[in-house]
Amino acid sequence: MGYGYHRPSTLDEAFLLADEIPDSRFVAGGTDLLVQLRKGEPEPSALISLRGLSELSSVETSKRMRIGATVPLSDVEVNPAVADMFPALAESITKLGSRQIRNVATVGGNLCNASPAADTAPPLLIYGASVELRDARGTREVTVEDFLQGPGQTALRSGEILTAILLDPPADGTRSVFLRKGRVAMDLPISSVAALAERDGAIWQRVRLAAGAVAPVPLRLRHSEAIVEGTNLDAEIRARARETARSEISPITDLRSTEDYRRHLTGVLVERALEYLAGEVGDP
Amino acid sequence: MTIEVSFELNGFGVEVDVEAHLRLLDLLRDVLGETGTKEACGEGECGACTVLVDGRAVNSCLFPVGEVGGTAVTTIEGLTASHGQPSSIQKAFLDRGGTQCGFCAPGMIMTTAALLTENPHPTESEIRRALTGNLCRCTGYYQIVEAIQEAARVGQVARS
Repeated sequence: MGYGYHRPSTLDEAFLLADEIPDSRFVAGGTDLLVQLRKGEPEPSALISLRGLSELSSVETSKRMRIGATVPLSDVEVNPAVADMFPALAESITKLGSRQIRNVATVGGNLCNASPAADTAPPLLIYGASVELRDARGTREVTVEDFLQGPGQTALRSGEILTAILLDPPADGTRSVFLRKGRVAMDLPISSVAALAERDGAIWQRVRLAAGAVAPVPLRLRHSEAIVEGTNLDAEIRARARETARSEISPITDLRSTEDYRRHLTGVLVERALEYLAGEVGDP
Repeated sequence: MTIEVSFELNGFGVEVDVEAHLRLLDLLRDVLGETGTKEACGEGECGACTVLVDGRAVNSCLFPVGEVGGTAVTTIEGLTASHGQPSSIQKAFLDRGGTQCGFCAPGMIMTTAALLTENPHPTESEIRRALTGNLCRCTGYYQIVEAIQEAARVGQVARS
């Protein structure tokens, strides 16, 4: 025990500190990292806190929504523009951990921790969100899908900071939903599903489905999407999507669930999410 | 590495040099001797260590001391009314049997304080949802929910 702790107030200062201190790590809310360190994960020489960086601490809504990487989840949760344009994201945050956790944990941290069960990931996948990554040399933008590479693995390069989550507002007529099942309220999900589709007359288009906790990374369910795309989303289509979803995930058995049950449940959640989009049920 | 932390604790200014890797919980209990805040799981699951930082409920076991500077921290010691009398929330927990072994009570009460500030008239389901991050291993949840309902009623009377 005995790592250092630094709290820079500008990004340049943060980059400089990371450069100067070998084996340092960036941290935002720290609700995952501090537990991991306590459980014996190799300790860094220092933590470099991003919480003092004003560039990362606000939600901006212009043409594109920009959620600063260190905005606490409870602030994102009650942001009216988020609830209005990205209801599946707001719902995923409402279901994440406790209020005490949401008061300090961040969307940026949820992504950088790269848990296969990260609650905000399936909604961000269906909304086609990107992340803004910065280092001393410049800024790049990577889709959330490309950012998440495996359990604990991301596209972040050494010295790089995830500074914001970027979301384009969905077109009019778009509906979206997030569903999750866990053993108890505080637990990680056994499976989580997010779904989005845009209605054009009787036909549903731009269908996007994503699932969490059922593969090494939260993933788009592209085969299931293809079943639903351009259809009227009737019961037969929804049942086919349910079965297809079960075949395109690779769940594991762990203390939360068996592989079989995860597969079964994911199909059920996909079907229910599509029922909600189709207006068959009022409350998902 | 030692850092200097200057903050407000229960209305009093505190300046202290502490090891940078400590948690707010360690600062409160081990450095400042304020042992009303409890540690149980140490992982943000149980809420026994809940305190308010700038009015927001947080797990002090997951809050680095490096983030405490410049904040106003309220612990269970700071809720006590004048002359050592229990606050209305504490009194409601006593009156309704909201404490059994009592170990979760400081965290439960701090969560309640944050809830009632934000939502003075919570429904039962809002209360239960607010308590998601606070575990009582005596499983005395019924009395705890009743105590919070009582505290909300008393608060309403006090304000009217």
